[in-house]
This record gives sequence, structure tokens and C-alpha cells, in this order.
Amino acid sequence: MVEYDRSQSPEGASTAAPRICIVGIGGAGSNVVDRITLDRIVDATLVCAHTDVRVLGHSMAPVKIQLGAELMKGIGAGGDPDLGREAALFSREQIRQAIENHDIIFISAGLGGGTGSGAAPVIAEIAKNTGALVLVVATMPFSFEGRRRLAQAEEALELLQKRADALVLFENNRMGELILPKDGIQKAFNQADQLIAQSLRAISTITTTPGLVKLGLDDLTSALANANGRCLFGFGEARGQNRGTEALKKALKSPLIDSGRLLHQTKNLLVHVAGGESLTLVEVEGVMKQLGRHVPDQTHILFGLGVDAKLGDAIAVTLISSLGLNQLNAHATAAPPSEMLQPRAEAPAPAPAPKREIPVKKASSPYAPPADSPPDLLFKSDEFAPAPSIGEAFPLNNFHQEVEKVQLMEQPLAHVEEPPAFVESPAFAESPAFVEPPPPPVIAATPETVRIPVRTPAAKELADAARSSKESTLAAVVARSVTLQTEAAPAQDDLISFDEEPESTMISATTAVIARKPATDNQQTFSLGEEDRGRFKDTEPSIVQGEDLDVPTWMRLKKKLRR
Amino acid sequence: MAKSTIYAGLEIGTHKICVVVGEAKRDGAIKILGVGQAPSRGVRKGEIVDFEKVQTCVNDALVRAEDRSDVMIRNVFLGVTGAHIESLNNRGRHRLPDEQTEISEDDVEEAKEIARSVSIPQSNVFLHSVTRQYIVDGQEAVRQPIGREGRVLEADYHIIHGVRGRVQNAIRCVREIPLEVEDVVFNPVAAAQVVLTREAKMQGALMIDFGAGTCDYVLYEDGMITASGCVPLGGDHITNDVSMALQIPNGRAERLKVEEGSVLYDEVPDGEMLSIEDDTGLILGEIERAFLNEVMNLRTKEILIQVRVRVEDHLGRLGAGIYLTGGVSMMKGIDVVAREVFGIKVTRAGSAPVSGITATFENPQYSAPIGLIRYAQILDSEKPFLSPLKRLGRRMQELLSSVTL
Repeated sequence: MVEYDRSQSPEGASTAAPRICIVGIGGAGSNVVDRITLDRIVDATLVCAHTDVRVLGHSMAPVKIQLGAELMKGIGAGGDPDLGREAALFSREQIRQAIENHDIIFISAGLGGGTGSGAAPVIAEIAKNTGALVLVVATMPFSFEGRRRLAQAEEALELLQKRADALVLFENNRMGELILPKDGIQKAFNQADQLIAQSLRAISTITTTPGLVKLGLDDLTSALANANGRCLFGFGEARGQNRGTEALKKALKSPLIDSGRLLHQTKNLLVHVAGGESLTLVEVEGVMKQLGRHVPDQTHILFGLGVDAKLGDAIAVTLISSLGLNQLNAHATAAPPSEMLQPRAEAPAPAPAPKREIPVKKASSPYAPPADSPPDLLFKSDEFAPAPSIGEAFPLNNFHQEVEKVQLMEQPLAHVEEPPAFVESPAFAESPAFVEPPPPPVIAATPETVRIPVRTPAAKELADAARSSKESTLAAVVARSVTLQTEAAPAQDDLISFDEEPESTMISATTAVIARKPATDNQQTFSLGEEDRGRFKDTEPSIVQGEDLDVPTWMRLKKKLRR
Repeated sequence: MAKSTIYAGLEIGTHKICVVVGEAKRDGAIKILGVGQAPSRGVRKGEIVDFEKVQTCVNDALVRAEDRSDVMIRNVFLGVTGAHIESLNNRGRHRLPDEQTEISEDDVEEAKEIARSVSIPQSNVFLHSVTRQYIVDGQEAVRQPIGREGRVLEADYHIIHGVRGRVQNAIRCVREIPLEVEDVVFNPVAAAQVVLTREAKMQGALMIDFGAGTCDYVLYEDGMITASGCVPLGGDHITNDVSMALQIPNGRAERLKVEEGSVLYDEVPDGEMLSIEDDTGLILGEIERAFLNEVMNLRTKEILIQVRVRVEDHLGRLGAGIYLTGGVSMMKGIDVVAREVFGIKVTRAGSAPVSGITATFENPQYSAPIGLIRYAQILDSEKPFLSPLKRLGRRMQELLSSVTL
């Protein structure tokens, strides 16, 4: 996260309202900006940036930037993020001029396409360099848009995560799933835009308008502190007799919250209640009480209260939280309770760390930069992830033994190992200084080989256990497959933390899930041909951990052995 | 109210379709009046793929059951299963209003309502939601909270849900026969009612209904249903593995599996051969017995491991161990393999507390359909405890019928 230096903003922070700039990039981004322009909901500079001249022409934003005019000749990036990035780099100066001298810069983009995913990171970087606080509001593509777009989106996401102070991520799938059933597609997209625009407005008002119980950007970031998390957002406004309850109901109705059900799993929840002068304490209490039913006890509720004369006799309730993608998906398919999902969600999320620290500092100013958290984070994840795994996977005294074991193993397993590892093996056993080096040679090899040293001792035991009298190849394979199942997951985690540089450990941790996804995909494409499934040819495949369990067990084991 | 009620249970299995007619006495005893069975066609992995074939088969089974029991069957309890069925536990938490200290019926309803409002995918319906326990101010295992003093009431629910379309397909298929579906029951939940004794449930038990198409399981802990689900792998997969390993047709593989197969291969002497005959009795070739057994062992173990993976968290607390039922549980040596996989006591069991045609109920193949009768009886008798179940069943039926009609 970036240090926000107040001295850099020329007018100083004494001016009451911070200057906000909203940049919409690409098709989705410009739609959002259009929506905001039309609704006039935020008092901000609106900028629309796109490679495609025609889209720009239709845009209603007052400031328009054509990205890479010379390079692209006004034609869109055609889904290629590289082109999008190039174009943005070309128009660097123009972008800087448009967005500088602002306190907060919102960047809104639809990830997955060319301009959105390519240019957004560049613009985020420029924005950051102007010294402003950068908030990115992005949408992930629909799953029907294909895997490639998803990959592009995830790549862009990774870049954005490094540059933005806060990232609000919306899952298009989720919106589609919950808004669409019978509405026209245009309406669905419209509503998605509206929702994003609404969240932009909410965030900017919450963090900028004075309140009785003030919420700052630090609260926002801690509400969103969920690595690879998707934003849960709900907004409701109501007036009349039961306005508190009604407003909360409306907020909970938001498709992104799924009538409060998704809140069951959140760790942090930001609640902002705003009302006119007539707002009473009883009403606020009532709202919070009702909300309490939807939220587990251990959730950290970040409560904010504001009195805004503009609201008149209405009450507005805003809920912001985030949920890991895993949890979200798991919830969508209604998988079993959260404790089962916890470990997975935990792994990529060293996020809770800043949560504890930030609230202490928040009192000082709304923009108090959570400056210390990144190093802290790094340290933490650094300490937690690779270190113990090295200790466990290669305990010094065992290592030598293990190497021997590996050598003892029959050929098919041993040949996978890189020969150099063996040449140096005595050295490993000797000095502790060599504990670190193992990863490099290992990483040079394929992931399959990396896991082997970790696995082999157990595999060997099992192979022994599988009654060595029957030396059939299958028995050996069973032993192997069993260990594979039990150890594959943790081994993979170690793997990822190994091959990253320390500085990027945070990112590596957050992208662990992303990185793992393609791996399972490969597994799926590996699935055997149709004829292998025998009589289950026409049925729905039963895929567990990338394996089609309809294919005879012995056949799958054979395949594994061959690899 | 009549002295006894007659129920019919219908299970559309992957291997066989079975209609059981039973009489539930008022004292809780069940007498099986007749069983009609027909080999099943058009069912894969516990789900109907070919409507017409299934309907013919159901008709067959129905006619036989009516013949034997001398009962005209109009309504049935339908057992369903399939990979789409999932379960979860949810806890609803209700804080009593400040001025109130005694828990009233309304509070219980409120807690239940909250517990039941879990998000399941839009395409899913609730099959069952069973109260596991109430918790009053952190005090667990309260059976009857009304009238107690307390501040916070929590209701623990076990919720089983499945994809609406698929459940509905099974119902529609039966309706077209025509038969009226009284309630839809998740197979293992029904089977557990006759396989597991109350004591076993209290001690903690995992019942695995290892059928031809699917492997369904229910886990009880402290007398409460804790986990349930379905692994879409079963005896058919074993047969398929055998047929592909030995390159013989499926029917032959099935017979070989049932007649000769075992999942123990270490005691088989090396070189013991089995001859495979074709339909006319000609010897086609020989195979090694150990090889056949090993193929079966690999698959069986894998299926059981799949079950274990899903109940891993609760395995430590099963005092009564594992109860294996369903057709595949008759396979030789499966108890040994199950013990190897789970590491706790394994019992092979059919249904127990019923009277009638003895041969039927001792066979583990009939656990689920007989369980349906028992389930129906429980549903009717234990009104205070099971009323939410029934209400939910009704609600779902209404829902389904409104869609079908």
C-alpha cells in the first residue's frame, strides 16, 4: 500500500472536500462512468479512457482520453492486454495531466478484455505516482467469456493488487446469476453498472463526508482485506415509518450479499448508517441489532454513522465486506459449512494481519496510510509460509536419510529426480547453510519432481505396507496414489511460496489460488479419452481433484505410473 | 385413527427397482407385507436417464408387490439419491427480546427460521431439514427448549438439498405410472432408520449404503445426524473396471464379480486361475484370480476413500463404527478393506427391527426401501419432533407440483 503524502497535494489537506477523480477504462469502465455522469451522484472529475474512438465518442464523460492514438489508430485493443498496455504507455502524459491534483482516484475497469486489463495497471501506476489514493473497482469476466479472458483478468488483477491502495472486486458471474433470470441482458449489464456506480458513490461518501462515528479508508481496506476476495456490497435507502428496517432490508437484498447469507462467513463487515437530522439513536440500534442476526459473533463490525442533511427524512444503510473467491463459489454451490472451507481460504489470505493494526492508527486522519502493513505482511507471510515448510519437508537430520530412501526407490520414481541433487546431497546433510539452496534445483524441474522428495518416504512405507510379496506394479502405484492424494495440496502451497522472491511473497500468497487453477485445468484436459470410461460414457463425469473417477482405477494408476 | 397404517416405499436403484409394502403397527412394529422387485434399466449412478425404460421396470415391480401383498398401491414414499444431493449443518441464532427471559414457541420458530435460511443454489430444493439440537445460552443438546430460561437460543439444523430438476424428474417419472408421491426421501436417511439402532446413533455411527450406482452415507453423532451425502461411485464401477481389465462384456463381468470376486488378494495363492465361460458355457480363457481381486480391491478402496474424505472430520467420534449395507456390502472381504480405510469397527448390516418375510429384510440390498417404510412411520408418529420435516416435505411437494402442472 502506498504512502499518501499530504504535502504533495498542492492545496494541502485543509480544504474540506477531497478532490475525487473517477477514471473509467475500457468498455465496462466507461459504462460505469457514463452511469455516474448521468446520475450525477458523485462530485468528481470523470475521465473516460479507451482505445476505441467510437466508444469514446459515445461516452458522456466530460474528459475523454484516447489511449495510444498513434499506435492504435482509434481501433480497440481487440482483447489483447499487451496492446492495451502499450496504448496506455503511449498516452502516459495525457493521462497524468487528466488525473493529477486529486486526492482520491477511483479506477473502474472490466478485467478480461484488452483495454481494461492492459491499461488499468498502467493507469493505476500513474495515479499512484501523482500521490493520490488509488482505489480500483474492477469486475471479473463472466465465466462464459472463456478461460483465456479469465486468465487475462487474473493477470491484470495481480498487477493491480500491487498498485492500488484498495481493490474492490465484483464477480460478474454473481451478478448475472442473481439479477438475470428473466431480465434482458441489457438490463442486467445496466444493473451491474449501477451497482458499481452505487458502490463508488458509497465509498466516496463514506470516506469523505464527516460523520458522528467516522469511517476512514483504513476501515474500508480492512473490510476488503481478503486476498483474492470479491466485494460484497449492499446499499439501501428508505424513508417513512420503519425506515431503518426497510433500509437494511434493501441493503441485504443486494444480489452481492444474497439476502444476508453471504455475510455468515465474512470476517470484517463495514456498516455505515446515514440519516438526516431526524435520525435517532433507537433507529440505529435497531438496524444494528437486526444486522447482528445475519452476522456471526466473531465478525469484526466496522461501524460508521453519519448525519447528512441531504438525505432529509431518509435513512441509508451501506454494507461493505469481502469474501474469498473460494468461499463465494463454495457458497454458490452450497458446499458444507465454513469450517471446512476455512483452511483453503486462509492459505492465500495473510490479510487479517493489517486488520489488527489499522484501527489503532485510524483516529489520526481519514487518509492515514496503513504504511507499515506491507512490510509487516511480508514478514508474516515470509515467516509463516516457507520457513516451517522447509523445516518440515527437509529436516536436516532426516534429509540425508530421505535422499538415501529416494535412491533406494525403484527406477521409475528415481529417474524423475534431477541428477545434480544427488551429487550434492552429502553437502545438504552437512551444513545448515544448504537448507535454503534445495529449492532452486528443484524449481528448475517440473512441479511433479519437486514434490517427490517430500513424498517418497511415505510412499515407500506404503509400498512396503502394501505387502511387498506381491510385487505387482499396481500395488506400488496404489501406495503412490494414496500419498499423492494426502500430500498434494500442502506440497503445492510450499511450492508456490518457494519460487517467489521475498518481496513478492505477499502477492504470491494472494495469487496462490490463481496460480493453482491452471494446474487443475491441465489435469482436466489430461482426462482420458471417451472410450476409457466404458459404460459410463454417456453419464456426467465424476471429477474429483481433476481425476475422472469413472475411468477404471487401475487404468488411472497405470497412467500416473507412466508419467 | 386406524390401528395400523400401510405404507409403500419405492426405490429406483441403479441395479434394481424395489417396491416394499409394509404395515406399521401403532406400537411401532413394522410388518413387511410384500416386496416387488424388477431389474432396473435406464438408471445410471442412481439417477434416471431413460424415462420409459424406468417406468416399465417400476410397473413390473409394482405389479409384483401388489400381487404379493394384496394391497393396491396408490401412494409411495420415493427414495432418491444422486451426486447432486448435498448436505450441510447450519445454526440459527436467536436472541430473545430484552424484556423476555423464558423461551416461547415463537422464539423456537424464529431460531428455526434463521437456521433454515441458508443459501443453497437457486436451482436446488430442500429435501430434508432435521433439527439436530437446540442450544440455550451455550448449553448444548437441549431437546425441548420451550419454557426454559435463557437469553440466546440456537437451533442446529442438518439440511439436505438437491438439484430441483433432478429430484423433480424422479417424481414426474413415478407420477406418470401413475403413482402419487407422498414424500421424497434421501435414500441413506431412510436406510439409516432400519440399519442403525438408537444406540448406534447415540454412540456415533457411519452408515454406508454401497449400492450399484452410488455410495450413500449418513453419519450420526450423539444421536444427531451430522453428515450425509452421496458419492456417485458404486458397484457398477467395480464391474466396469473388471470388464475393462479382463476385456469381457459387462454382464459377464458382473457375474464374475458376484460369483467369484473378492476384494482380498493377498491370501490368494499365486497362479490360481479362474476360467471365464461365455454364454454357452464354452471356456473363453483363464485369468489369474489375484488379478481380478486386485482390480476390485483398487476400486473398492478408492470409493471408500472418497467417502472417508467427506466425513474425515467426524471419524474420531464414532463409537459404534461403520455399518455397511447395500448390495455391494455383500462382497467378500469388503469389511476388511473398509476397516483398512477407516480404521474403525465395521459391521455389515441389513435392516433389523421388522417382521414379515424374513429373507427380505435380512438382505442388505433392501435396507433403503424398508427404511422408507420406517421413515414414513416415524414421520407420522413422532409428530412433535418430525413435524418440520413433514411440513418441509409438503412444502417442497407443493413447490414441485406447481412447477410440474
